[in-house]
Amino acid sequence: MALRGKYLTGCAGLVLAAMMSSPAFAVDPSRLLSADQNANDWLTNHGSYKSYHYSPADQINAGNVKNLEVAWTHFPERATRGIQSTPLAADGVLYYSGSYSRVYALDGATGKVVWSYAPELDEELVAKQTHSPYNRGLALANGNVYVGTVDGRLIALDMKTGKPVWDTRLVDSKKLTVGFTGAPLAVKDTVIIGSQGGEWPGRGPIFGVDGKSGQKKWEFFTVAGTDEAKATWGGESWRTGGGGGWMAGAYDPETNTVWWGTGNPAPLYDWAGADWQKSGPRPGTNLYTTSVIGLDPDTGKLKFYHQELPHDAWDFDSAVGEFLSIDRGGQKLMVHPNKGGFIFVYDRANGKVQNVWQLTKNINFVKGIDPKTGELIGRRDLSLGKADTPLCPAIAGGISWNSGAYSPKTQLYYKISQEWCMDITVIRTTPILEPMAQLNIGADFKLVAPPDGPARGRLDARDPVTGAKKWEINYKQPPLASILATGGNLLFVPDSEGVVHAYNAETGQELWSHGNGMGHNAGIISYMAGGKQYIAVPAGWGSLVSDEFAALWGEPFKSMAKNTGALFVFALKQ
Amino acid sequence: MGGPPPCLPPPQAGEGGEGPPAPVMWISILRTGAVLVTVALPVACVWAQQSPSAAAKTTAPPPAEASPNDIDGPTLFASVCGFCHQDGGRTEGKGPKLAGTKRSDDFIIARIRNGKPGAMPAFGGAFSEGQIIAILAYIRALEDDAN
Repeated sequence: MALRGKYLTGCAGLVLAAMMSSPAFAVDPSRLLSADQNANDWLTNHGSYKSYHYSPADQINAGNVKNLEVAWTHFPERATRGIQSTPLAADGVLYYSGSYSRVYALDGATGKVVWSYAPELDEELVAKQTHSPYNRGLALANGNVYVGTVDGRLIALDMKTGKPVWDTRLVDSKKLTVGFTGAPLAVKDTVIIGSQGGEWPGRGPIFGVDGKSGQKKWEFFTVAGTDEAKATWGGESWRTGGGGGWMAGAYDPETNTVWWGTGNPAPLYDWAGADWQKSGPRPGTNLYTTSVIGLDPDTGKLKFYHQELPHDAWDFDSAVGEFLSIDRGGQKLMVHPNKGGFIFVYDRANGKVQNVWQLTKNINFVKGIDPKTGELIGRRDLSLGKADTPLCPAIAGGISWNSGAYSPKTQLYYKISQEWCMDITVIRTTPILEPMAQLNIGADFKLVAPPDGPARGRLDARDPVTGAKKWEINYKQPPLASILATGGNLLFVPDSEGVVHAYNAETGQELWSHGNGMGHNAGIISYMAGGKQYIAVPAGWGSLVSDEFAALWGEPFKSMAKNTGALFVFALKQ
Repeated sequence: MGGPPPCLPPPQAGEGGEGPPAPVMWISILRTGAVLVTVALPVACVWAQQSPSAAAKTTAPPPAEASPNDIDGPTLFASVCGFCHQDGGRTEGKGPKLAGTKRSDDFIIARIRNGKPGAMPAFGGAFSEGQIIAILAYIRALEDDAN
């Protein structure tokens, strides 16, 4: 891996000097409202409240991207399970997080460290966690950088100095084992973050915290958060129902609604088969797991919900945090991918289903989903014992948590599909009646190739509302990083073998690539520093999905390190 | 301070199978345990037969008083371990294949207890010593197709 960093040039030095001597480069909440128009910065985990993973910047474009080269690199400490975060950038400073919630503020033009922060974590607890110690991103607002920790805290750091402003414990992680790995979302004066969950027995809360004081304002339980929801859990199963909202959602300022996706119910898989309404470990539809929920950011009150998969029996949760605000023919829509491989299109005003289209080819957990109502058609509820044919997609999903991108210029939605299945044997497990430090799963399984070919990945360029496909690119393995579209008619895809690709966003033609020497399971962004455009992507392999790759594809994954990482930043050759 | 439990005849067909609807999910641990004990003992016996010196080699003392629930290795494995050790530990997945492992009992017990940073959680706080021994027994009883 070549390190081709540049030392501070005279020009960049002046910019840095000007920046460091300027007053507080605050990101106030109103600035977040127009982030989608802002070519200079990358202010939220999904680029803006619209979740486009798009930058209008066009200095780097389809005509000159062949001249892109590494400008600088940064190496984080303790990159256990690689780097999984999407960086942020504001006023020429890049912020990113690594494992153990370590946060780095770097000069965007040079990579010079402005500050770094390493919270003291409960290491004994971290050692007990499965989905740990990675961190998937930060939020900026109120002059602070916000980061969650795997031991259950939300921390505010001063953007200028990296000094903690407040440090609030939200989850009793000693009891529940889980904490926070997802990015927070700043909305007005509130910082919102969702707990891990799913197969961990708990109630998956989402929290609203005052951004200035760190005081908890509200807590919404994704499991049995209302009386109506509690009635959808047989017996006492709601106490350990899983849920979780472990990826940052989005915000619709027009209706003052936070959109958030929730995790699967626990236990994963159950033996009730078609009788799931009445028997099994969690009889009922299990609200609000595997759902999209609309919350009031000021109060945490539920405004509406749509349960994408009632009684999710497959771990195809709705926790993907991507919610694209698309206006089409007078309709205000919200587009949300579900892990099962379907894309749901909602009315932004009320969460009512407007369309559902299928991204992933190999799906057999349902025969289909009604595009008008969202109702599941021909659901495949597994019974005790070995399933006669593999379940598709596999547990890792037809869609993973990494985000796609939408370009307002091409009006195309770029989204990665994962094509794989799994042999599964459902096993009756002991009901877990109290939260405890263990997973809650009810099956043995093994990933296998789908019926139509080898296990593989694919990038589709489609209409986000109708799903009409314009072109596709096939990959030997699914790319696991969030991708980026830019105003320069470019699409950047960091792949799993370690190569960053730049494509013509209109046609899919590959225009540039660069090997980073290790797989990507983070997010790629664009920002400006000193009037120059940069593309930044963390490399570093080791997510739970990427852990499946060695068995499926052998090298380079068998030999790929899972305890290292680097931030690569690219710019045009001078 | 005992070693593996004494061997009993295999359970009758139907024992430990599907119970009555909903209420069975919320029965007490005691009743669940009573069902499990009959299912799990033969596994422990397989382990005892295949690895007679296992208990002697174990550095940590066996549980002072194992509850009936402790010894349901297969169920425990499917609840917790199978997420990474796929096909019930019979194949490589997120975690390594366990069937036919050449690792010693001491190693496996220590790995379950302490985990491996960044790869496997430490279950020493979640599982009793009896449960850890039951998981070891389950692993030792797995047939290795490759051999």
